[in-house]
Amino acid sequence: MRPTTRNTVDRLDKPSSYAASKNKKRRFNRDRDHDDEDPYRREKTPDFEDKLKEATTLYVGNLSFYTTEEQIHELFAKCGEIKRLVMGLDRFQKTPCGFCFVEYYTHQDALDCMKYIGGTKLDERIIRTDLDEGFAEGRQYGRGKSGGQVRDEYRDEYDPGRGGYGRALAEDLDHD
Amino acid sequence: MMDGIVYYDPTAAHITNLFKSKLSIQDYDHVKRIHSVDAEPRVPKAPRNFKTPILRRATFGASRLDDPLASSSRRAGDYYRPSYATAENNSDIMADDDRRGGGRGYNNNNRKRRFREEDDSDRRPQRRRYEEPISAKLRRQLLTIAESPMKQPQDEAQEIAKLFAEYYEEGDDKATFLDLMVQILTEQPFKIPFAAAVVLYTNETKPEAAAEIFTRVASKLQSSLDSGNWRDVKLILRFFGCLQVLFEGDGVFPLLDELFDRAVDLQVASQEDTIGLELVKIILFTMPYIIASPAVGFGPRAVELLAKTEAVASNEHALAPLVEIYPGDSDDRPFGYQSIIGMLQKQLQSESEKGWELACIPRLFAPKPKEEETSDEAALTSAKHAFPSITVSSPINPGPKPLFPDAYFSLYADQDTVPKTTDIASSLLRDVLVDTINILDFNRNATAKFLIDMDCYWAPDTFVKRATPFDKLKDIAGDKSTWKPEDMAVDAVFSQIFTLPTPEHKLVYYHSVITESCKIAPAAIAPSLGRAIRFLFRHLDLMDMELGYRFMDWFAHHLSNFEFRWKWTEWLEDIDRSDLHPKKAFIIGALDKEIRLSFAKRIRETLPQPYHHLIPEGKEKDTPDFKYSSDQTPYAPEGRELLTLIRKKAPEEQIQEVIDRIHDQAAEHGISDVLIPSTDAYVTAICFIGSKSLSHVLSCIERCKERLLDIGKASDAARRQVIASVVDYWKDQPGIAVNIVDKLLNYSIVSPMNVVQWALGDHLGAGEALTQSWVYEMVAGTVGKVTNRMRQIADARLERGLSAEQIELIDQHLLKERESMRELFRFIDDAVTGIASGAADGFIERDGEKGFGEEEGKLIKAWGGRWARVFRRKAAVEESIVGEAAMEAKVAALGVQMDVEPEAGPDANGAGTVLDEDIIT
Repeated sequence: MRPTTRNTVDRLDKPSSYAASKNKKRRFNRDRDHDDEDPYRREKTPDFEDKLKEATTLYVGNLSFYTTEEQIHELFAKCGEIKRLVMGLDRFQKTPCGFCFVEYYTHQDALDCMKYIGGTKLDERIIRTDLDEGFAEGRQYGRGKSGGQVRDEYRDEYDPGRGGYGRALAEDLDHD
Repeated sequence: MMDGIVYYDPTAAHITNLFKSKLSIQDYDHVKRIHSVDAEPRVPKAPRNFKTPILRRATFGASRLDDPLASSSRRAGDYYRPSYATAENNSDIMADDDRRGGGRGYNNNNRKRRFREEDDSDRRPQRRRYEEPISAKLRRQLLTIAESPMKQPQDEAQEIAKLFAEYYEEGDDKATFLDLMVQILTEQPFKIPFAAAVVLYTNETKPEAAAEIFTRVASKLQSSLDSGNWRDVKLILRFFGCLQVLFEGDGVFPLLDELFDRAVDLQVASQEDTIGLELVKIILFTMPYIIASPAVGFGPRAVELLAKTEAVASNEHALAPLVEIYPGDSDDRPFGYQSIIGMLQKQLQSESEKGWELACIPRLFAPKPKEEETSDEAALTSAKHAFPSITVSSPINPGPKPLFPDAYFSLYADQDTVPKTTDIASSLLRDVLVDTINILDFNRNATAKFLIDMDCYWAPDTFVKRATPFDKLKDIAGDKSTWKPEDMAVDAVFSQIFTLPTPEHKLVYYHSVITESCKIAPAAIAPSLGRAIRFLFRHLDLMDMELGYRFMDWFAHHLSNFEFRWKWTEWLEDIDRSDLHPKKAFIIGALDKEIRLSFAKRIRETLPQPYHHLIPEGKEKDTPDFKYSSDQTPYAPEGRELLTLIRKKAPEEQIQEVIDRIHDQAAEHGISDVLIPSTDAYVTAICFIGSKSLSHVLSCIERCKERLLDIGKASDAARRQVIASVVDYWKDQPGIAVNIVDKLLNYSIVSPMNVVQWALGDHLGAGEALTQSWVYEMVAGTVGKVTNRMRQIADARLERGLSAEQIELIDQHLLKERESMRELFRFIDDAVTGIASGAADGFIERDGEKGFGEEEGKLIKAWGGRWARVFRRKAAVEESIVGEAAMEAKVAALGVQMDVEPEAGPDANGAGTVLDEDIIT
């Protein structure tokens, strides 16, 4: 086993618990058939970690729907030259729906971005970054039945940057 | 609050919220301690994104924190549930983040992991009671030493020493604690004197445990020395310096002597040597800690060494004039060049004359009360150790990073809020601050917390109380300190932003440290920052231009994190200045950068009325007009036709037919290079089609790539026209133009030389271009691309195990690229010195015209000088890394290294022995 020493303070360039939990769930489903195995063995998820070990792509979340590619570019280029920027679009309206993928040329730039840009503001919103295994053509990212991100369907507070109230909620309001 | 000092609205909700969250941090600490002391059953704090704490509690014991069942019971929507949705909440959340990673070493994540460890060894689901294992307690206590103002660090050190002795008896897994000891030295340098105190106390009861720590730390020192990791060498020597009293004979001094001898060798061998300087710096930074340690009688030894280092330390390095922050010899300069090492040498000398007061270094060790006078003396001598044996290889490994002379930078040096540059505290405090900032780049929240809590780690009364307003300092009576900890912190971060040629990390890291510090302690940091901004703005015209650009870039980025709030009214007089004035150019450039991060309408809202004309209507247009829509423009019908054809992806022949029509008309008008008007129409059409977004324009360029490449092959002037057309289309939003040109370079549609020739040739005019920050951005970006590539080739040459053929191939490449790099630098230098001397054609033509009087001429010439300085430095830096002489030396060193360790494989890469703790993932 490779010796890993944790630092005396946490690192900000680790995949988030969301990315990790998403992966665990997948593995769990895969492993469910052999239930007799020691359940704690699931702890190691080498394929997931390996995928992110060289990751050059970041998922960027909590963007305003109105934030443009140029704005994202302006901020994220501070961590290195950007190879590709893919805006997440609403499946039906083809308008930005609050997330994107930023791909750098090097893994180090992606890590630096996690450390220096994740959790800071863009367009006056605190944005979230997460290492991502990379954008493949045709990839479908967690969008809900409304066409936008799921989190925008059930949000019960008003967020003018992301289409007001959650869409599912807004529909209910309409029916009343 | 203090009018004219606070620049953020002090009534802002986020500040009050921050104070609230500050309170809650303390509450949390309190609770935490009670838990560990009483060994109550602990209930894990649910991570923030779990919405079902009740369920978590119920399953604890039987299930684990990372139990997939538990996570699958969440609603799908929870994954993306915004943890911070509204602006009001932001500050709270950030404070919360800090709590998680704030250098406490005892937080959610760690706790989670600890649970795991413990479960691995002992899986009894019914177990309810929990006693913190001694190893965990030791780790926590060592990591948090000196952090709490409620405890005496001496007591903490003693307590940890006692615990360690106990743990040492038990005998299991000592390595973990020893490793942690090493790690705290190299990751949290503020705590070195405190960690040393723990060892001093340990030695009183368990000298053999102390000896084991020495062995472990010494092996790290050896590996750092072997790999040229100078910062770690310095920090570990500091630790040993604090422990001088425990060593036999002269302790650390013989090693310092040896390092000095090596430094002299290096200095004699080359005038451009920086490694020798670094070694001397390490020696000088170790000395004060030895003297301030409990060891007595080493003053004369230090004075002796100081006499030897003087020649090296006071020597001015050849590159020193290039890294000056405020160059020139004007009396208005806020300060001149002072090397860190030269300054420290002088300070140490004056300190030695004053009897080595070294007031700021904390003294933490009090030997055992002398109850049994006789045996105590015996115990002290018996507890001495031989200094670990360390070999200093020759030649010494220069380390992975090229070093440059360090210039001392201080914003507040002329005020009384930081130590004077003659005071040794200025060097000692700055050194630890800078190391902390640069080491902890992986957690900016932790860095910010260290900056805010800095006063915990120095002798009491070194500073005034945190957040003491500037105008209250004059009320401080007598000899008491007037040093503001937050000024020192801000000063240290800016010293990194303004490091030439480049700081250790990307500039944006230092931006983020300032942002976090502001969030944690706005009332303390914001006023200091306001004073910093005013200082920098006041001396803008004297500052190195590259640094002026960094200031502008930081300023705009910083404001974008704080609702774009700035007291613009105080610069009202400066907006009446000519656009050529550096201050006005700064304002224009900063506003443009702000708009790029936001949008024009928003930025206009944040400005007082008199500024509004600086944001013209054009900036608000998402899609600039297509100039061929107007029949006033020559070739308008053809331009429009091209647009339609490109848009509907018509075959190339149809496009060529329209282009030919432009060529025919142009020829009739007597235009010599007919490709110029046709290229203008073609590229403008591409820009218009791609105006929707960067990816739109990129996909359009991709589609038209072949033709664009052909244009370039046919005419150099037409290639420059490509750039001209892009810039002209995006004239109101030059940032987008800079971006597109950058991509055109990647496609090789234009060459670096084309960009520079356009910017400093076609576009230069009488030199006004030099005042535009985006022109600098474009040129510096292009040069950066070339030099990066150059360095990559150089690195490839230094790989081990290359075949003779490979070497030959790389060498040819190196030669060719180096020549074109130099050509690029030469062109820039010629162009800008032409302006600086007033000899450039464009300048002479306009000189003396209306609106271009003596004053304007002077301003423009100064810009020429500033540009020349920046690019001469860049050229010199590259020469010192990839020039023939530098490469020869590196190749030779590589040969020597390979002789020394012939068995090293090709992947050993000259990094020396790497210990386990160096591997961090």
